[in-house]
Amino acid sequence: MRTNADCVIIGGGIIGAAVAYYLAKGGMTNCVLLESEYLSSGATGRCGGGIRQQWSTEPNAQLAMDSVRIFKTIEEELDADIEFLQGGYLVLAYTDEDVEQFHKNFELQRRLGLDVEILQPEEIASRVVKQVNTDGVRMATYCPTDASANPFLATKAYAQAAVRLGVEIELFTPVTRILREGNRIVGVETERGIINTPRVVNAAGSHSVPLARTVDVEIPITPYRREILVTEPLERFFDPMIISFSFGIYFRQVKHGSVIGGFAYADEAPGFNEESSIDFLTMMSRKLSFLMPALKHVKVVRQWAGLYDVTPDAQPIIGETDGVDGFFQANGFSGHGFMIAPKVSSLLSQLILGQKPDLDIDRLNARRFSEGDVDLDHSVV
Amino acid sequence: MRLTQHPILEFDRGREIEFEFDGRKLLGFEGESIAAALHANGIRVFRESIKRKRPRGFFCAIGRCSSCLMTVDGIPNIMTCVTPLKEDMKVETQRGKGAILLTESFSPGSRPTEARRGAKDVATVSLAIVGAGPAGLSAAAYAGRMGVETIVIDENDVPGGQLIKQTHMFFGSREHYAQIRGIDIGDELIANLSGLPVKLMLGTTVLGLYPDRTLSLLANRRHIELRADAVILATGASENMLAFENCDLPGVYGAGAVQTLMNVHGVVPGKRVLMVGAGNIGLIVAYQLLQAGVDVAAVIDAAPEVGGYHVHAAKIRRAGVPILTSHTVQRVTGPDRVESAEICRVDDHWQPVPGSERTLSVDTVCLAVGLTPNCELAFQMGCRETYVAELGGPVAAHDPDLETSISGVFIAGDASGIEEASTAMIEGRLAGLAAAELLCREVDREELKRLRSEATSSLKTLRAGPFGATAREGKRKMFKVGS
Repeated sequence: MRTNADCVIIGGGIIGAAVAYYLAKGGMTNCVLLESEYLSSGATGRCGGGIRQQWSTEPNAQLAMDSVRIFKTIEEELDADIEFLQGGYLVLAYTDEDVEQFHKNFELQRRLGLDVEILQPEEIASRVVKQVNTDGVRMATYCPTDASANPFLATKAYAQAAVRLGVEIELFTPVTRILREGNRIVGVETERGIINTPRVVNAAGSHSVPLARTVDVEIPITPYRREILVTEPLERFFDPMIISFSFGIYFRQVKHGSVIGGFAYADEAPGFNEESSIDFLTMMSRKLSFLMPALKHVKVVRQWAGLYDVTPDAQPIIGETDGVDGFFQANGFSGHGFMIAPKVSSLLSQLILGQKPDLDIDRLNARRFSEGDVDLDHSVV
Repeated sequence: MRLTQHPILEFDRGREIEFEFDGRKLLGFEGESIAAALHANGIRVFRESIKRKRPRGFFCAIGRCSSCLMTVDGIPNIMTCVTPLKEDMKVETQRGKGAILLTESFSPGSRPTEARRGAKDVATVSLAIVGAGPAGLSAAAYAGRMGVETIVIDENDVPGGQLIKQTHMFFGSREHYAQIRGIDIGDELIANLSGLPVKLMLGTTVLGLYPDRTLSLLANRRHIELRADAVILATGASENMLAFENCDLPGVYGAGAVQTLMNVHGVVPGKRVLMVGAGNIGLIVAYQLLQAGVDVAAVIDAAPEVGGYHVHAAKIRRAGVPILTSHTVQRVTGPDRVESAEICRVDDHWQPVPGSERTLSVDTVCLAVGLTPNCELAFQMGCRETYVAELGGPVAAHDPDLETSISGVFIAGDASGIEEASTAMIEGRLAGLAAAELLCREVDREELKRLRSEATSSLKTLRAGPFGATAREGKRKMFKVGS
């Protein structure tokens, strides 16, 4: 393990791997990525792999659209298959609030140039997917360029490309604390020794909170368990991710043929609990077989849970920490880190390299919480 | 081919019915497995593998390996080895991953939108035992005897586990059911439960075991949640596969599968069999094949010596079947089913000896190369996992009372380490008694103590001698590690 680095990235999820890659691509090759277990072992590897551009605030929609642009060519750039598929996202509205919000979203997204459209319930079968039960559906929005990819393959692709450029990746290397002298970062202490570095990227998901505390920095992230399940593989029969905020569901068919999906319990207690529950299994099965009755004979083969690292405005925390030079945050993705990872990671690397980011991300600095300037996005599952 | 005469067994077959296979009308018996019915009709190829489109038949015949998946009545991925045949069933060769029927009608009723956990009906019981084989039924008898309200759950419609296909007589003393055939022991174990607070839930699959000891059950396509104060996992074992060229060809079957086909369903696996493995299972099944009128070309084993009891080996040899030690199978050949097998000698380092190859004309290769404990439920729940080669590989760590690293969760029988039905029964007893001690406030401590020491010494007797050496060593390692 290197003992001196220009930057140490903590966390081997999609964000850590992508930041490592973009830093190396930008010339900062003496980087070390530290992962306490294996690549994608945290939230990244547990997520549904959806890539959605349909957001309700302009900055989020912009980030997501830019990310899709990167995703479209990333397989070539990284020389790897990440199962990227533009199968679209079908978003179902059930309530008055949904309908009102969807119309607003549609206006905003169209203004930004997104190819989203409004569908009436009866159009869904002929236009998008045959097997959706539209009972109770008021309307839907559909964006054919929304996408999905395999989170494991995407992370691995970024990580391997980073290694080819000179980055060192250390797996099963937990960080015990970050080292700070006065108002600057000086290193990272791991279970396998110390790495001297002036820069640290904290990309450890919910575990970013205890890590930041080792240098007396508080970040407003609350971990919440989110559960998900996967069925046996079937021949491909639908392409889009199907979601609803008010009904509470998201699911898609992955390349291998399995259907993967989940929903969130409103009364989920905060904490690091990652156990699977029977409540989720039964409710998710009921929801799935209601919305897509063809799935009712399909067997669930696995369920698991992961952690959403939720911030007060459900937006990530990106940027250098006020008062601690060299301490960069890349956490708090609140459940949608995978889909915006390429753009966010690229922007953060520009910031670290001392360049001017090509899209404003200052709004995502943690200082927004002390300034009380938060803009809530309504499009969070 | 169906057996009509057998020296030990009489086959009580159901009604003869018609069913459809890939558009052809075939005859079978109601209630037998789809796989058995197909085999009796000479059909060995059930599906095509997903990637390489290779022909596949069944392998384990007890619902463990998913080699036999077919599309039945339009539903793909049905385990035909454990699904009972019904009249007019439509059975199709499954190609690829299987497609679902897209004609399913939309179910009426409101959207299931409960956003909060809990608040639903959950059945409760003191002790839930998973598996109605020798370990599970013995555990139920002893826990029940101490007054524990118990439910025994098994995915099969018939209790007894693998005993229902054991036509041979057990060795040992009367206490260990010696001189009784396995098929009769199951009946005796069931009889032991009469008058006790024990219920059997058959035809019920345990889908999952959750942290608060809640079991997710599937019975007749209905989901049931059952919360137990203690759980005993007596889930048995799975047949091991052996890697050789074309080992996935239909006709390469597990020894347990051959027993199920032959002794439960009365269907012979083929005309001429190569038995791989000269442990007790290999020897016994080879003899049972002979009893059913099937030719056994040879019994081979890579080890330099016969692993099973010499009395079993002697019976085989007397029947003229060669037992070839230091031999292995290198490949099988055939277009879509086994037509021949190539065997060869192995040297002291288990490597094939060039020039020693021989081709045997056989239509079935039976693998009796060991078992692996079924510990998935324990691992899913978070019980500590440990690897002990002598016990069959990855097992849930447990103490001498068979309790895992999670309090109130016990594991017994082959699931706690591969041994024999006789030891499984005693382990079940011990686990049942330990659960009773945990669950009952007013239990006769003296009686409990007496029964436990009786069982412990019984287990010691069974594991004594050279044939118990592996299990002794395995359990020694396990208890040294601790649960």
